[in-house]
Amino acid sequence: MQNHPSYPVLSQLLEKYPATGGALFQVYNDLTLAQKWIDVEVIDLPACKRAAIKGKRPTPDTDRAPSICIVVPCSLSESISASWLRAAFTSLDPLPSEIYVAITSEDTSTVYYKISQGIVKPPV
Amino acid sequence: MTQPILLRVSNFKAYVWDVDDINILRSHHHICGILTGTLPHLSSQNIFLGLPLQLMPEEAVLLVENGIAVLVDDPSAHYAPSPSTLRLWKEARLNDARQQIALTEEKGSIEASNPDRAMSENAKRKRKEREERRARAKTNAAPSAPVEDSPSPHPTSENPSQAAIGEPLDSTVVMPSGSYTVNIPASSSKLEWYAPHSNVSLTIAREAGIWLHPSTLQERARCGVFRDLWEKGYYMGGGIKFGGEYLVYPGDPLRYHSHFVASVIEAPDAALRPMEIVAHGRLGTGTKKAHLLCEWNDETQVVSYLSVEWAGFG
Repeated sequence: MQNHPSYPVLSQLLEKYPATGGALFQVYNDLTLAQKWIDVEVIDLPACKRAAIKGKRPTPDTDRAPSICIVVPCSLSESISASWLRAAFTSLDPLPSEIYVAITSEDTSTVYYKISQGIVKPPV
Repeated sequence: MTQPILLRVSNFKAYVWDVDDINILRSHHHICGILTGTLPHLSSQNIFLGLPLQLMPEEAVLLVENGIAVLVDDPSAHYAPSPSTLRLWKEARLNDARQQIALTEEKGSIEASNPDRAMSENAKRKRKEREERRARAKTNAAPSAPVEDSPSPHPTSENPSQAAIGEPLDSTVVMPSGSYTVNIPASSSKLEWYAPHSNVSLTIAREAGIWLHPSTLQERARCGVFRDLWEKGYYMGGGIKFGGEYLVYPGDPLRYHSHFVASVIEAPDAALRPMEIVAHGRLGTGTKKAHLLCEWNDETQVVSYLSVEWAGFG
């Protein structure tokens, strides 16, 4: 892992949160290499005892600028809670309207779910 | 001030037996319940059901807490009628039967006086054939055995209604022979010997031992979440079709699709497995709904919501 091109960016937070390092490493690589996100940076999220990832998600619509998204990685085998999800929101500044939870499994499959605070109607 | 609606409780479940009450609950209070009544002679009834309307416990709790309805222990609301009351009831029943028989006879005599009325040529021909067949069968069977005198195994009674059911013989009221329909009312409201005692609060109903909901944290959480969504104007239905506690509709479920599937989380720190987010999120998005994680805080009695959708990538 130390020889991986992503390692220098992540090393500090990987050392700070070793328990969630695997998920962070996997999601960071997925976003930068597979999803082709740009301006990706890592942010510390002490309330969730892990690092989160902030970046611009490219849209197929070229007229619109890529939107800034925040991704909180977690492993499929972790146990989280509603208060954990809320803590992710409240510890971010400015308070985002939505966050993405990236769930990773051991075979490197990664899925992303959008979590919004409050009752948010689905798109028609 | 209108009278509170009576919720008839049986085995800790609340039922509504009056069609007008069902209408009021649905149109004024956006409480839908589900119709559960079936008819004994129709098989495979699973789409169109009738009275009674069964309420979710959360619905009943909300209606009682808001003073819209009261709980009634239906079995103990009936007392033994006095002989005079019972005689009046039987006389009414007798009059109804006589009226029905008179109407049937009147109709029969009209039809007898004009037998060809409303019969097509085809029907007449078929009837003639049937009558001929019957006549032939009779002449063939006649010489074989003299069945006429053998005693019938079931002595036919002049009064089948009295003989059949173990009704106490009452010389003052004898039901007429002939066929008529026995009407059994859905609710007991009109019976003289029905005196429902209203349990106006959940505490009183709990002390009376007829209603215990909500008694656990999970039940309190469900009632709290249901009330909060109801106060926001949503209509709720059972959520089993989409793996949640409730389906949340923006208006009457007969007019709208639900926008959300709601699941109730008992406490802020209750364990939530990431797999639940995946399962709920993906199913909801696949059915054009969002999933609501409804988090109950038992200390503050506050509900917080998180909406889950598939991100659209990954």
